[in-house]
Amino acid sequence: MANKRESTSPQTGVETANEAQREDLNTQIGNDVAISDIQVETEQPGEADIETFMHIAQQLEDELCSIVVGQERVIRELLLSLFAGGHVLLEGVPGLGKTLLVRTLSDALDLKFARIQFTPDLMPADIVGTTIVTEQSDHNTAGNRRVFSFQPGPIFANIVLADEVNRATPKTQSALLEGMQEHTVSVGDATRPLPRPFFVLATQNPLEMEGTYPLPEAQLDRFLFKVLVRFPKAQDLMRIIDTTVGSQTLQAKQVASGEQLMHLIQTARAVPVATHVKEYAVRLLLATHPDQEDAPDSVRKYVRYGASPRGLQALIMTSKVRALLEGRYNVSLEDLQNVAFPSLRHRIILNFDGLADGVTPEDLIETIIEETSTS
Amino acid sequence: MAINAPSRHAAIAHDDTDGERFIETLHPWRRRLWVQQILSWTEYGVTIGIICVCFLLLISRFIPWATASYWAFGIAIVILLCAMGAALWYHPSFARSAHYIDTQLLLHDRLSTAWELRDNSAPISVLQRRDALRQLRKHSPSATISLWPGRIRLFTFGIAAIALVLLLLIPNPMNAVLQQQAVFQARLNRQIAAINQARTVIDNQAAISAQERALIDKILREALARLQQSSSEEQAQQSLAQAQSKLSQLRDPQASQKAQARANASSSLQNSSNANVSNTGKALATGDNKALASSLQNLASQLKNMTPAQRAQLAQQIERAANQAQNNSQLSSALHQLAKAVADGKPAEVSDATKTLESAAAQDSANQATTDSIDQASQSLQNAANAIAATTDSSNGQNSSQSQTPGQGQSPGQTKASGQGQGISGQGGQNNTNNNAGKNEQVFVPGQVGSGTSNISVDGSTGTVQSGKPVPYSQVIAQYSQMAHDAINNSNIPPDLKNLIQDYFNSLEGRQ
Repeated sequence: MANKRESTSPQTGVETANEAQREDLNTQIGNDVAISDIQVETEQPGEADIETFMHIAQQLEDELCSIVVGQERVIRELLLSLFAGGHVLLEGVPGLGKTLLVRTLSDALDLKFARIQFTPDLMPADIVGTTIVTEQSDHNTAGNRRVFSFQPGPIFANIVLADEVNRATPKTQSALLEGMQEHTVSVGDATRPLPRPFFVLATQNPLEMEGTYPLPEAQLDRFLFKVLVRFPKAQDLMRIIDTTVGSQTLQAKQVASGEQLMHLIQTARAVPVATHVKEYAVRLLLATHPDQEDAPDSVRKYVRYGASPRGLQALIMTSKVRALLEGRYNVSLEDLQNVAFPSLRHRIILNFDGLADGVTPEDLIETIIEETSTS
Repeated sequence: MAINAPSRHAAIAHDDTDGERFIETLHPWRRRLWVQQILSWTEYGVTIGIICVCFLLLISRFIPWATASYWAFGIAIVILLCAMGAALWYHPSFARSAHYIDTQLLLHDRLSTAWELRDNSAPISVLQRRDALRQLRKHSPSATISLWPGRIRLFTFGIAAIALVLLLLIPNPMNAVLQQQAVFQARLNRQIAAINQARTVIDNQAAISAQERALIDKILREALARLQQSSSEEQAQQSLAQAQSKLSQLRDPQASQKAQARANASSSLQNSSNANVSNTGKALATGDNKALASSLQNLASQLKNMTPAQRAQLAQQIERAANQAQNNSQLSSALHQLAKAVADGKPAEVSDATKTLESAAAQDSANQATTDSIDQASQSLQNAANAIAATTDSSNGQNSSQSQTPGQGQSPGQTKASGQGQGISGQGGQNNTNNNAGKNEQVFVPGQVGSGTSNISVDGSTGTVQSGKPVPYSQVIAQYSQMAHDAINNSNIPPDLKNLIQDYFNSLEGRQ
C-alpha cells in the first residue's frame, strides 16, 4: 500500500498499478471487509477521537495549503468532502493544480492513487478491469496451465482521479457509477468490493465543451460536492513561482493512514445536529424546488428540478465536518449556509429561461439562503 | 489509533451533571430575557396605545364624536394591559432563550444544540455541552441583554408622544358642533317634556270620547318616540310634521263652519226680546248645557201663557236663528223644529223640540271639545317645532347663508280666548324655484298646517308667522294636496273650478 509508483498504458492513457500493487490490492480488499464490519458498530467517538480529528484535519489542511497555493477554499471543500466520505467533482480550467491537489492529498494520507485520463475512446474495461487468460504452474502436471484471472482496473485504488471525466462516452462514465455509489465493481459474474477508503475526484473543463459528454444528472448527483477551482490571485501566483519553479520541490508529509481516515469519517458522523438546524437544512433543500410554496421567485422561474435527498445528506454530512474543522461540536446554521454552494450547485437543474438569461446555480443558492427563514 | 475506547467513553459518560449545570447557567439569562421582554412589550403597548389614541383623536376632528377621548384612552389602557399581561404570561422558554443568546453572542447554535441534547450522555454531546458552557461563561447577561429600548423604538415613541400632545393641545373644531348637538338635545328633551305634559292634559279631559282620546294619545306617543330617536333638527321637524298631519286628519273639516253657525245662531237668539230665548242664545254661545236646559224649560212654561201671535213672533225669531245656523245642520234642524213647535204651541212638540235642541247642543259641545283637544295637541307640537327651529336658528346665527324669507299668510282661523290662531297660515316663501324638484328635496316652507304663532288678528287679517324650516317636498305636497282636497269639498266652489284646482295639484305631484 505504501507503493505509490504508477505506470501509464500508452493505449488507454490509464495509469495502472503493477503486479506488486495488485497483490497489495487483493490484501487491501480483504481488509476492507473487516473495516466494513467495524462500521456497523455504533460506538460513539470520545474526546480523544475528536481531538485527533481536529489535529489530523488541521495538519492535512496545512500540508495541502503549503503545496497547493492560492486554493484554500478548494482545499477546505475537498477536505469537507473527504471527511464526509463523498466524491468530488472539480471544475476549472487546466493548469490550476487540480491534479496536484489530488496527488498531494494521496501523499498526505498514504493512500493508493490512480489517475484515469478520460478520452472519447476510453472503454469501461479500462476503468474497472477485465478477465484475461494467464499461465499458471500446475503442480499435478509439473507444467503450466492457462486460467482466467481478473485484471483489476485503475478504479481499484483509494483515490481515483477521473481527469476530464466529461470527455469519455456516457457508457464509460457510467462505469464509475457503481463504484461511486456501492463501492463495488461487477465484472462478469463477480462483484468485487473496492478498497476503503474510496474517493473519486473527477475534473471537468468548463471550456472546450465541443465533443464532450456532459455528465447526466444521475451521475452528477453521486458527487457529494462540486468544487469550482478559480484562478489564483496575483499574490498567490507569486507564491506559486517561489514554490514550484525554484530548486526545492515540496513533498507532502504523511499525516494519516487510510484506516485512520475511515475512523475520522466515523467520528465526523457523530457530531450532533439540533432539530432547528435540521429543519433549516430541509427548508433550504425544499427551496430549490420550483413547485414548493416557499421557493423564491427566481427558483420558480429558472429551475427545472431541485436538489435530491442526497443533497440534504450532503448538506448535513459536510456541515458536521465543517463544525469539527471550526472547533465546534455541533452543526450551526452557518455551516449549512457555507456548504450549500458546493453541495447544491450541481443538483439544481436550470430550465431554458435560466440558461438563456445566464443565471447560475450560485445566484439561486444565494437567493435561497437570503430568503429562507432561519427560525 | 484505536477506533473504540470504552474506558474513555465511560469516563465521559458518568459526567451526567453537565445537563443540570447547563440549565443552572442558563437560568439568569432566561430571567434577564424575561425582564427585557416585559419592558419591551410594555413599551410596545404604550407606543401602540398612543398611536391608537392619536388615531381616534384625529378621527374625532373630522367626525363629531363626543366620547372619542374616553374610547381612545380606554383602548390605550387595554392595549397596554394586554401587552403587559402577555409579557408576563409568555415566559421565554429555555429553548428560545438559548436561541436568542446564540444569535446575540454569535455562538453558532452551541446553546440551542446543548439545550436540545441536555439529557444525551454520548461523549460528544457532553463535550458539546461543556463547550457551550465555556462559551456562555465568557459573557454576562447584564452586559449582553440590554434593558434599554433601541433607538428606533425610542424615536417611534417620541414621535407618537409629540403627536398626542399636539392633538390634546390644539382645540378640536368639532367641539362647537358637539356643543350645538348638546344644546339641541337639551332643547329636544324640554320639548318632549312639554308634549308629554300636553298629552297628560288631553288624557284627563272627560269631555271627549275615550276613542278619540286614545287616537290623539297614540299620535302623540308615536311623535314622542320618533322625537327621542331624532339626531338632527330635520328629523325632529319631520316627526312633528307627521304627527301634526295625522292630527289634522282627526279634525272635523267642518268644525269651524259649525262653530261659526252656532255663534251666528246664538247671536241671533240673544238679540231676541224674549228673555228665555235670549238666555238660550247665551247658553248656546257659552256651551252651558244646564243653562240651556233651564232656559228652554222656562220657554216651554212661558208658551202656555202666550197668545198665538206672540208665539208666531217668537217662532219667527227662532226660525231666523235656525237659518243663521244652516252650516250646522243638526243645530239648524233642532232650531227649526223648536220654531215650529213654538208656533204650534203644543206642549208635547215643544218638549220634543227642546230635547232635540239640547241633544244637538251637547253633541256640538262634544265635537268642539274634541276639536279643542286636537288643536291643543297640534299647538303643543307646533310650539315644539318652533322652539327647536328657534334653537337651531339662533345657533346657526350669522353662519347661516340660507336666505330664509319669513312666510306671510292669511289666516281665516278661528280665534280662541287665548288669542292663538290656527288654520292654514303662512303659505308661500318657498325658496325652491326649480320645478323639477326631487322627491327628497328639502323645500323651504315657512308655514305648515296650523303653524304660526298668535300674531294673527282676530278678524283673520294678514299676519306674520315665524320662518319655516326645510321639509321634504313629498311631504309638503301631500299635505297641501290633502288640505286643498278638504277645502274644495267643504266649500261652495263650482265643480268645474274644483277640477281645475285638483288638476293643478295633480300636476304638481306629477313633477315629483
